[in-house]
Amino acid sequence: MILLSALILGLFVGLGWARWKNQPYQAPPLKSMWLVLVAFLPQLVVAYLPVSRYLLPDWLAATSLSASLIVFVAFVWLNRRLPGMPILMVGLGLNLVVILVNRGWMPISPFTASHLVDGNALQSVSVGSRFGQKDILLLPQDMHFEILSDRFLLPDWFPYKVAFSLGDIFIALGIFWLLAKPASRTEGQRS
Amino acid sequence: MNKNLARLAIFTSKINRQHVQLVLAIAALAMLVLGVGAPSGGSTGGPH
Repeated sequence: MILLSALILGLFVGLGWARWKNQPYQAPPLKSMWLVLVAFLPQLVVAYLPVSRYLLPDWLAATSLSASLIVFVAFVWLNRRLPGMPILMVGLGLNLVVILVNRGWMPISPFTASHLVDGNALQSVSVGSRFGQKDILLLPQDMHFEILSDRFLLPDWFPYKVAFSLGDIFIALGIFWLLAKPASRTEGQRS
Repeated sequence: MNKNLARLAIFTSKINRQHVQLVLAIAALAMLVLGVGAPSGGSTGGPH
């Protein structure tokens, strides 16, 4: 939700900017868009569709998640010349590293998780178990690269509860920039 | 019936290639951010 908000905000800024400049808004000239679909399908099954989210054993789901991220790396690399993509690539790299070294899941501490769900719900999750869509509940001392985990929270007064990583911040900035400042056709095709 | 078909024809003629490209690009980018990001929301998954 937080990342989709950055996407929508970037799109509105880009549309507003184009209107102000009296130019048509150009979609980013993405290459090999089919790779995104290939990469996203495993995640749809293991993380997003409620009916299938827990069908696969955790090791297979974690492997699918890592493989999916590697395909996303290929897509982002092919489109690296577009504005915002280098920032997004940094975020993807940070998330990929922390996920790969923590058994294929994004680590989250019980302290951070307690801000997202109520205490009773959290007590039913044991440390080392899957939490939410792509996370694993781990004690900070058991995490690798704890600084890259889902450790940031929105302010308490904010109605939407979410924990996000440093990589997610870069991804949000990158997608915002990509849509707020769309590339010209030649810029995207130069690589 | 013919009226509806005519309306549909007018509507589809307004959809140009750029609009289709924009929709495809936004859909691809939405999948990209959902795929590469890993935020954990209280209402978007919860504990297993």
